Amino acid sequence: MSPRRWTTPGAPGLLALGGRIARPVLSRPSGRWWLAFAGAGALTALMVAGIAWTFTQGVGAWGNNTSVVWGFGIANYVWWIGIGNAGTLISSMLLLTRQRWRASINRFAESMTLFAAAIAGIFPIIHMGRPMYWYWLAPYPNTMSLWPQWRSPLVWDFWAIASYILFSLIFWYVGLLPDLAVLRDRAKGLRTRQVYGALALGWRGSARQWRLHGKLHRTLAMLAVPLVCSVHSIVGLDFAASLMPGWAESIFPPYFVVGAMFSGFCIVIVLAAIIRGALGLQSVITTAHFDVMTKIVLAASIVMGAAYASEWFAAWYGGDAAEARFLRFVFTGPYQPLYVAMLALNVAVPQLLWLPRLRRDIGSVVIIALLVNVGMWLERILIILETLSHDYLPSSWRLFRPSLTDGAILAGSLGFFALLFLILARIAPLVSIHETGELAAAEARA
Amino acid sequence: MTATFAITRSAGRGVGRRAGLDRRQALQLLAAGAAAALASCGPPREQILPYAKAAEGEELTPGAVRRYATTLTLAGYGRGVVGRVVDGRPIKLEGNPAHPASLGGSDVFTEAAILDLYDPWRAQAAAGPAGVAAWSDFAEALGARLAGHEADHGAGLRLVTGRITGPSQLRLIKAIQARFPAMVWVRYEPLHDDAERQGTRLAYGRSLTPLPRFADADVILCLGADPLGPGPAQVAQARALIGRRRGGASMSRLYVAEPSLTLTGVAADHRRAAGPLVTRAIALELARRLGAPAQPGEASAETLAFAGAVADDLIAHKGRALVLVGPGQSAQMHALAAWTNHALAAPVDVIEPIDPHPDDHADSLARLDRDLAEGAVTSLIVLGANPVHDAPDGAVMARAIGRLPFSAALGLYDDETAGACRWRAPLSHALETWSDAVSPDGTASLAQPLIRPLYDSRGAEQALALMAGQPASDARDLVRATWQAGAAGDFEAEWRQALVAGVLTRGGAAKAAAPAPRWVDLAPIARSPLILSLTPSASLWDGRYAANAWLQECPDPLTKEVWGRSLRLAPGDARTFGIAEGDRVRLSLGDRSCEAVAAIVASQAPGIATLPLGGGRTRAGPIGSGLGGNPAPLRGRDLRFSLEDMRLERLGPGKDPPVTQNANRLDGDTGQLLPTMTLAALAAHAKPADDEAPPSLLTTPPRGEHAWAMVIDAAACIGCNACIVACQAENNIPVIGPEEIAVGRDMHWLRVDRYDQGPATAPDAGFLPIPCMQCEHAPCEPVCPVEASVHDGEGLNDQVYNRCVGTRFCQANCPYKVRRFNYRDYAAGAPWGDLDVTALKAQRNPEVSVRGRGVMEKCTYCVQRIAAGRAESARTGQPIADGAVKTACQVACPTEAISFGDLQDGGAQVAALRRDPRHYVLLNELGTRPRTTYLARVRNPNPALGSQA
Repeated sequence: MSPRRWTTPGAPGLLALGGRIARPVLSRPSGRWWLAFAGAGALTALMVAGIAWTFTQGVGAWGNNTSVVWGFGIANYVWWIGIGNAGTLISSMLLLTRQRWRASINRFAESMTLFAAAIAGIFPIIHMGRPMYWYWLAPYPNTMSLWPQWRSPLVWDFWAIASYILFSLIFWYVGLLPDLAVLRDRAKGLRTRQVYGALALGWRGSARQWRLHGKLHRTLAMLAVPLVCSVHSIVGLDFAASLMPGWAESIFPPYFVVGAMFSGFCIVIVLAAIIRGALGLQSVITTAHFDVMTKIVLAASIVMGAAYASEWFAAWYGGDAAEARFLRFVFTGPYQPLYVAMLALNVAVPQLLWLPRLRRDIGSVVIIALLVNVGMWLERILIILETLSHDYLPSSWRLFRPSLTDGAILAGSLGFFALLFLILARIAPLVSIHETGELAAAEARA
Repeated sequence: MTATFAITRSAGRGVGRRAGLDRRQALQLLAAGAAAALASCGPPREQILPYAKAAEGEELTPGAVRRYATTLTLAGYGRGVVGRVVDGRPIKLEGNPAHPASLGGSDVFTEAAILDLYDPWRAQAAAGPAGVAAWSDFAEALGARLAGHEADHGAGLRLVTGRITGPSQLRLIKAIQARFPAMVWVRYEPLHDDAERQGTRLAYGRSLTPLPRFADADVILCLGADPLGPGPAQVAQARALIGRRRGGASMSRLYVAEPSLTLTGVAADHRRAAGPLVTRAIALELARRLGAPAQPGEASAETLAFAGAVADDLIAHKGRALVLVGPGQSAQMHALAAWTNHALAAPVDVIEPIDPHPDDHADSLARLDRDLAEGAVTSLIVLGANPVHDAPDGAVMARAIGRLPFSAALGLYDDETAGACRWRAPLSHALETWSDAVSPDGTASLAQPLIRPLYDSRGAEQALALMAGQPASDARDLVRATWQAGAAGDFEAEWRQALVAGVLTRGGAAKAAAPAPRWVDLAPIARSPLILSLTPSASLWDGRYAANAWLQECPDPLTKEVWGRSLRLAPGDARTFGIAEGDRVRLSLGDRSCEAVAAIVASQAPGIATLPLGGGRTRAGPIGSGLGGNPAPLRGRDLRFSLEDMRLERLGPGKDPPVTQNANRLDGDTGQLLPTMTLAALAAHAKPADDEAPPSLLTTPPRGEHAWAMVIDAAACIGCNACIVACQAENNIPVIGPEEIAVGRDMHWLRVDRYDQGPATAPDAGFLPIPCMQCEHAPCEPVCPVEASVHDGEGLNDQVYNRCVGTRFCQANCPYKVRRFNYRDYAAGAPWGDLDVTALKAQRNPEVSVRGRGVMEKCTYCVQRIAAGRAESARTGQPIADGAVKTACQVACPTEAISFGDLQDGGAQVAALRRDPRHYVLLNELGTRPRTTYLARVRNPNPALGSQA
């Protein structure tokens, strides 16, 4: 079998490609950018208003109640951290397995991780009753000699997120170094050159630097894989370490990791399609990229289906009355339409990707990817709602109805994510210049 | 209701208008009010005597709790209470163990009375035609007006009151009547006992009061009667009735036939949803078998078989069998009950009425209505009654009152009647003044003030004395004068003793020398497509407590509705009238109507709709106004409880009042949450469930000096909610309002779950109070990231409020869902709207933190009381005796269903109860090892009725 090509024949050369990628950073923003910026800014303002309202009114501004004490806040957190999971996973696993095609997507996938994890980090804090004391989860010297409670999965979570965000930042920055040097070299203004020069940490592109850089990048990638697994496993433990029906399940950690990869890959697909169009990078982000990425999505959807089925099986086979009642509630209770929609979007819809024609049709792929993310958000919210609405004592059974503030913060967080990307597009290349250049050059030689 | 809008409009013409009050005056009044409120936080000036004996000249220890016995009334009847006073502020009321109407227990009304004292909406100043006035201005105006009436001997004068049992008030009314012989004293209660008065008249020739002795009854039949339900005798009746319903050979058997499920119906061994025809048939069948010349009532064979089995059981227990008939039944039914009880030689004492007013309530009120309409009234004085709201012609009456040259309303609140009157004047709260009252069994007791009046108010005795021409009387002197009159021996010693113990040895009910009751046959009743049955509200009584936020937020025991009540309809009737759950409906009778929201209740008798009174208040402040419709206009002149030939029409979709519990059906495995044992199974040494803790890998924290535990007897819980309100008062639990409850939030630390098992139309219903389980392996503890939820050495799960950051993981992981989260700043008192809620702070228990926004809270087993017990033990050097520490819910419980104590004390009652055959552990299989455990319910079914519930 002839090696697959990840760039189109006749792709622009190294310099031209670099210029095309760097242009949005070094030139004035286009009208389209401003339009997108305004839209994302408005949504961000909505999120800020929602959070401000939450801070002034208390968490009472949300739909949470006495039984369903968790709601959108935790669901959004799990969803965003899931998306944040994929970028580093993609980038590091593909690097370690020497998938050359990663060159075109790794930068924005890693950026996505950084932004999504940062947004995810907002939610556990704003969901707290007294958010001003969030730092009490950290072990810091204090007059009362109090430490956090090490048995609580929330403390594990605190560390998992903190280390994951810090690590993702370092990993992203290391990958960005050579490109910062490119920007330094291409920038026209003195100040711009000075800023990029400082950020590039004296990168000259010598053979020694390239060798050291490659070694560091691979080493970090090796560290990344277990971290990626740990962060969402621990999110899974937030639920699995409880004794509530529907939560206390040993499958949760791996199931959460796969779910995270699943939703994250879908967001990467959407981003790839947008960046490809916006930056005119059809030559380096090819339909072949979409083809491989959707295959991974397809595989993940099957694993997700198996995970759901194993939950049902365990509830039936375990013979525990509370679990069986829980399962009945899932399939016959008031949230049933949402659950069916979740199954359809996460398991049924991705099966369309068995069709090779569809895998290479960017429009369809983007629609499927978006639907999967809707499905994954439904999964996150349903994990919370189903269990808390219908646990052991019938007297406590209560349904959840979201408030306007809940909706505003969720919608706003999407806008904030877009806003961060739009800003990043103006200060750093969204696609790796040096890696795509290397790929294009290698394939041009072949 | 359309009629009531007229009242609020007419109110503007009366004292509602504050003429000529400019900004400066308003500020002056505000400052004066604030100063008055501050100044009054102290003990009354006269000598009052603490409940526990105080040494002479003992200083008031700051922060120490002092207890004083006093008396509160419900519908005029006295109930002994003990007030806990800290630094001059009464903060909590409990039942007085020495008083036979409370026996140490209490009900929701007693528990919530403390909130009325500090209610920001309480009437705080008198007002007259010229606006806000001083009490002395009112007294002057009243004095002048009454002086003018001396000429006509009071012919145009009317005094309107509720039921009065207090000897002092009765003495003063006699004095007023002596001054104005032509005056008419109108006395009525919306929840009256006219049927009983008339029925006993039919049977005995004069009105008498039957007092059942439940402790002596082996078999009890309740026909529309609800002895466990709300009312002045609830506590005493529940104590006696439930005392014999906890299993064992002495367990009584309880039959209930009633239109709508009541607390007595829940406790029954056999309950029938019964309309008047069925009730009548059962009563007649019993009478027939006792030899009465009665025709059998028309009823199905099934009903007659039931009636036959019940009758046989009652007759087999002659001398120890009892029949009770409710206030909503006809006078003839009451006469028949008197006859039947006589034939059964039932344990019933017949006493002379405690309420000496000669007229029936409805007659008395109708006379006022007529006199007002005919213009025979020139001066009207209303004392502690609210006819504009609860009289059938309230709206007409309001207009008539508006036309009177002189009208005055004296009460705790500026209510609908006050709005219609020219003058209104605030009465002191029962905890601010001296008084006396008599309980339903005839026990007299004194009320002593626990605090100086917070506002410029007077006691009812002082107001009556004013009318009797004795102005500037001191309330204490008025009460003393009453008792001094008949004193034999050392009055001072008797007075002291009465204040310390809370009860007077004098008085007591006179056993009536009643003749044998006559047989009175029951008139046939016509079939009616729909009957409306009006019942007391378990939280608001007749609506008079509508302004009390604790009571508004206290769930209905059966429907769990708060902040309003819906109309209960049987499913078949709902279909007939085309009504769905939550629809807005109009009930009408003739040209009168009332709106309500419909709830479909499977256990409701077909053909009968039930609506609790208490809705439709238009002038009950930010808390009580505008909730539901007022059915009073439908009741007619004779203040009926049961209204035939109601028309019911659907108006459109509406919204049921919010509820605190959505699901109440137990089936399959959930049935083990509230197991029921039969007396036979109990005798055969069956266990409701395995109460051994499952094995665990977790280490159990070592037991310290004490191991606190609670055992709740589900067989004894009648669902009265006294524990809920007691917990609220003790632990500074905020009121959150209907909007928050509709979202699904609530703050009560203790809830009473209500569950149904078996067929929906004839459910086996039961109650399960749920405080914190204080698990030994508590799921809430390891999940808290900041260790705000910790285990202490005595086995309590402590919640450290100032450490809590509000992640709510503890509640997410609590299988019992007993934790409560401050989603908003609930302690700020938002339900009172713009009113200044500073006064409410005075009620707060200084031993309990007030929780801020964003903090989780929960039942602590009243840890402050445990701490007080520990301190006392350290002081005396004696170990804490069993029963020395009692939680607030335990004290409140009228049936002593809650036991609390130390498992380390082998002889403790809780330790013994944990070995009881009925003992079970809620969700035992989870291995949480709760310290709160339960005793299963017991039923004593009649074998002759087979499996029928």
